[in-house]
Amino acid sequence: MKKISKSVVKKDHQTKIDGTAWYVGDYPQAGMLHGRIVRSPHPHARIIEIKPYALPEGYFIVDHRDVPGINEVHIVKDDTPVFAVETVEYIGDPVLMVVGPDENTVLRIAGEIEVVYEPLPATLDVRDSITTFFDYNFGKGDPDSAFANADKVYQEEFETGYQEQAYLETQGMIATFADGKLSIHGSMQCPYYVHGAIAKALGLTPDRVRVVQDITGGGFGGKEAYPSILACEVAVAAYHAGGKPVRVIFDRREDMEFTSKRHPSLSTYRVAVKDRRVTAMDIDVIFNAGGYTTLSAVVLQRGLIAAPGVYNVENLRVRGRAMKTNTVPNGAYRGFGGPQTFFAVEMMMNHIARDLGEEPLPFKQRHLVKQGDATSTGGIYHFPVPLPDMIAEVEQMSGYSQKRATYNTAKPERFQRGIGISIWFHGAGFTGSGERDHIKAVTRLHKTTSGYVEILASQSDIGQGIKTTLCKIVANELNLPLERVTYNNPDTDRVPDSGPTVASRSLMTVGELLRRAAIHLRSEWKEGEDQTVEERFVEPDFVIPFDIEKFQGDAYPTYAWAASAVEVEVDTLTGVNKVLGAWASFDVGTPIDYNIVVGQMEGGLMQGLGYASMEQMATDNNGRIRNNSFSDYLIPTSMDVPVLEVKMHVEEYPLGPYGAKGAGELPLVGMPGAYMAAMEQALNRKIQHIPFSAEDALLGATQE
Amino acid sequence: MVNGFNPNSLRQALEIRAANDVIPYAGGTDLMIGEQHPGSYLFLHAVPELKRVYLEDGILHLGAGCTFTELLEHPLTPALLKEALSQIAAPAIRNEGTIGGNIGNGSAKADSALIFFVADASLKLESSTGTRILPIRDFYIGRKQLALHPDELITEVLLPLRWLDGYVYQKVAARKALAISRISFVGLLTLDNGVIAHCATAFGAVSDVVIRRPEIDSMLIGKSVEQVKAIRSDYLAAYDKAIVPTRGRVSSEYRKAVCLNLLLDFLNHYEI
Amino acid sequence: MDQGIEFQLNGERVSYTGSATTRLLDVLRDNFALTGVKCGCKEGECGACSVLLDGKLVNSCMVAMGRVAGASIVTIEGYSKTARFAALNAAYAAVSAVQCGFCTPGMILASEAILAKTPHPTEEEIRAGISGNLCRCTGYNAIVTAIQSAAKEGNGLW
Repeated sequence: MKKISKSVVKKDHQTKIDGTAWYVGDYPQAGMLHGRIVRSPHPHARIIEIKPYALPEGYFIVDHRDVPGINEVHIVKDDTPVFAVETVEYIGDPVLMVVGPDENTVLRIAGEIEVVYEPLPATLDVRDSITTFFDYNFGKGDPDSAFANADKVYQEEFETGYQEQAYLETQGMIATFADGKLSIHGSMQCPYYVHGAIAKALGLTPDRVRVVQDITGGGFGGKEAYPSILACEVAVAAYHAGGKPVRVIFDRREDMEFTSKRHPSLSTYRVAVKDRRVTAMDIDVIFNAGGYTTLSAVVLQRGLIAAPGVYNVENLRVRGRAMKTNTVPNGAYRGFGGPQTFFAVEMMMNHIARDLGEEPLPFKQRHLVKQGDATSTGGIYHFPVPLPDMIAEVEQMSGYSQKRATYNTAKPERFQRGIGISIWFHGAGFTGSGERDHIKAVTRLHKTTSGYVEILASQSDIGQGIKTTLCKIVANELNLPLERVTYNNPDTDRVPDSGPTVASRSLMTVGELLRRAAIHLRSEWKEGEDQTVEERFVEPDFVIPFDIEKFQGDAYPTYAWAASAVEVEVDTLTGVNKVLGAWASFDVGTPIDYNIVVGQMEGGLMQGLGYASMEQMATDNNGRIRNNSFSDYLIPTSMDVPVLEVKMHVEEYPLGPYGAKGAGELPLVGMPGAYMAAMEQALNRKIQHIPFSAEDALLGATQE
Repeated sequence: MVNGFNPNSLRQALEIRAANDVIPYAGGTDLMIGEQHPGSYLFLHAVPELKRVYLEDGILHLGAGCTFTELLEHPLTPALLKEALSQIAAPAIRNEGTIGGNIGNGSAKADSALIFFVADASLKLESSTGTRILPIRDFYIGRKQLALHPDELITEVLLPLRWLDGYVYQKVAARKALAISRISFVGLLTLDNGVIAHCATAFGAVSDVVIRRPEIDSMLIGKSVEQVKAIRSDYLAAYDKAIVPTRGRVSSEYRKAVCLNLLLDFLNHYEI
Repeated sequence: MDQGIEFQLNGERVSYTGSATTRLLDVLRDNFALTGVKCGCKEGECGACSVLLDGKLVNSCMVAMGRVAGASIVTIEGYSKTARFAALNAAYAAVSAVQCGFCTPGMILASEAILAKTPHPTEEEIRAGISGNLCRCTGYNAIVTAIQSAAKEGNGLW
């Protein structure tokens, strides 16, 4: 283990554990106004009128007419209004906000205000949608000939459901407008996204907007774009609040029903096989975007690029669409499109192997990509692909092959066991040329006269430990004790835009910028002087520039890799399954802090297991999210996965700090594939959708 | 106190209950979910009579105010009840939740109530003017409907211990802790020299009230294992008809299938 | 009107004069500014608001103030001044068991409740003991390890 990997006490450990850390909901509320959003009860409707309401003294309402700038939330395509104008597009679409000094009175008024709607026809099922938000097509080789020459062609459809981030801290913001400047703080991953969105909605120049990230109780993607929406709403209210702070903290039900989730998907895989080898894939992916586009374009892009999995498929055709429905807009969630297609391709490979009479693992091993192979977008896997070694590690930890063979010949008894394996990657950092063309990250180091060094960057610590790992990198290069390097929660008045905290990019990309900045500072270090150095992102030379129109080039500079096995036991009388163990090998390059990285791996792995099974979220006949509480949307408890073992495999990335690459999202991405492969063995049947419930298991089991 | 009464004797509690429009607060773990109720709470945690556990003539008297944790730690609590209680929610809920509250909430998903149903337990209902003993099956009238008078409190569960040793219990839930039963099953069976001396089953979380059909179970009682084998299919068919599940977070078809699977497994367990 | 509800809060005698039906969680956060008690759901389903009531773990969102009369309540603010906390703190720090931190104060009090009852718990007992405290970040392994190690290193404290 490298010295940098050795774990330290996390920078934010003490205040979080002793309860003195302030999250946005913890600020004293004296003098604050409370806001409550009134939302559409219809999936699709025309707003006829907002009935006049006699408000008590000190209370007011804001709607789209009160937006001083442009009534659009800046995300990617800015079709999300701050407040709805003529129509509402999903149940929960914000129409107005009630603001006032007493929270209960605000709640009461929000419940009493009458908005008159004319309901319009709504599209609730993505299969019925005729509105295409995004449609991408790409491929390589000659799939038509490959299909024409195939020994056999397989076709299956796979479906994945919603997943709710279920961060323990709900969304919240507090905003103040004073002296022509809007200041806002709250729970978020991307202060500069919020900054840009508010400047547009309020019509303010960038210097008149200040965004500060509060200590954030989990994000997992859920606090990437959604905080921009909430911040605009709260900022508009604050703009009209006469200098008083306006506070909106969601309760759990509001958060679960109306904030973005993982996109449900439908994927059709057509696969050509010749001489027991996959020669072509023709893949059609549909994501349910919900009522507005938000992040769907970029989520879909990542999902499509990953669609052929870790397999070398020479002839490929991929089509992907994000379709509009009148349901809550879906957005970022750890994995960002990857979990949907990786589930599909892993199951598809299992099913083909089964049909060919071959065990899935050797079948997959025969198809693995290796260094120098072409990616799905005609880029190159520039660095070694360590999957064969990692599979061996998983085999060693789990006893996969032996268990697999044993369970293949199990007698028909009440409790049936199965074990499955899944293999995947996660492209490290932004998809395509996002870093080069859009983010253009800037970081600074500021040394005080007393020799303390402060990191100036816009990364949010959302629990993943970025405060600690960035400080470790800088301290290491400067040979300073860790206490001498500090990193405060980002404040856009003080820090440059080093980009958002997303896409497993912070440590790899910003961490490397800071490492170089530290080397720079070291070379110019003058004792007792106040010094600042700056470092800007430069695209690595080896990268084949990515063309987003054609989906050609290197979508990612490098990849994080994973292999995992899951073992289950199914009660065939009830369909209930028990995870007996989950084992995984992860390669995220050099762990900058071993405990932190293992914590990310274990937590992400668990979210992936939940995604495949107990995390069931559905809409009712009106398109309203039914599972809106922790008693209805179940996430794993400490008793659900008793054995969970993770090994860090290190394949260094020469352009990441000390060899580190993207980590945060990887562990979740392929877990459903391993879990469901195990369930397939236990139940001796095909599985084509997640989440897979006890009911699915039982009714399926009795059918076969 | 404002909006609350804190009696420290049963007599006091019953007088308050009679004289005021109050909501009994036992453990609070159901009552406190959702919006706050208007009106006043009658807090029962400090009423010592509701905490008593004692054995009398083969009947275990359980104070309705006993928490799940207290009963899990009590030496007189039978193993079956402990098994069911230990799977309720999680420690913090078990520390406050009570059996009286579990019953008084009126849900067919109440894991302790299922055990009281299968044991043919009775409830002691007291008011300032009198006491009555009601079989638990007569206490549940329908969905969230209970035969509790507005001036009464559930004060004790009278649990006959005689047939509780031989049992099969199964809670079906979507995760291993903090989980509401989606189906629960308990079967009691005692064999005496190859003859079925007692048989009782109950199905929870399946329909509006826990399903307990002694008239069906009596088909087996008094018969030898051999005799039962001949009527086994009639017994299963009778339950197939009796179990009419409601649709909830799982389908009625699933509930039905699991109930019958577990019933069949119960018979297989005793090799009948 | 009679006097308020009196109780011990982190070792001090305090009084509350509002409604007996109000949640303990709200009173701790709003009236006593004890914001280490987190609100994750208000339905008893997450454990972020865990406190000790007469030494036992409870969800403060599920406790009405009338229940608290005469009781002793310990929140993370009080518990963090104890030697037992110091042992748990060191154990959690050593394995980086704190990620986003929102579940952590409740998780610490759940850890205390486990060790107070069973000074040397098995892994199974630990997992059962924290089963009402949801953590979305860690996958629980680090927390389980931390409690095991606190039990070992803090030998004699519990």
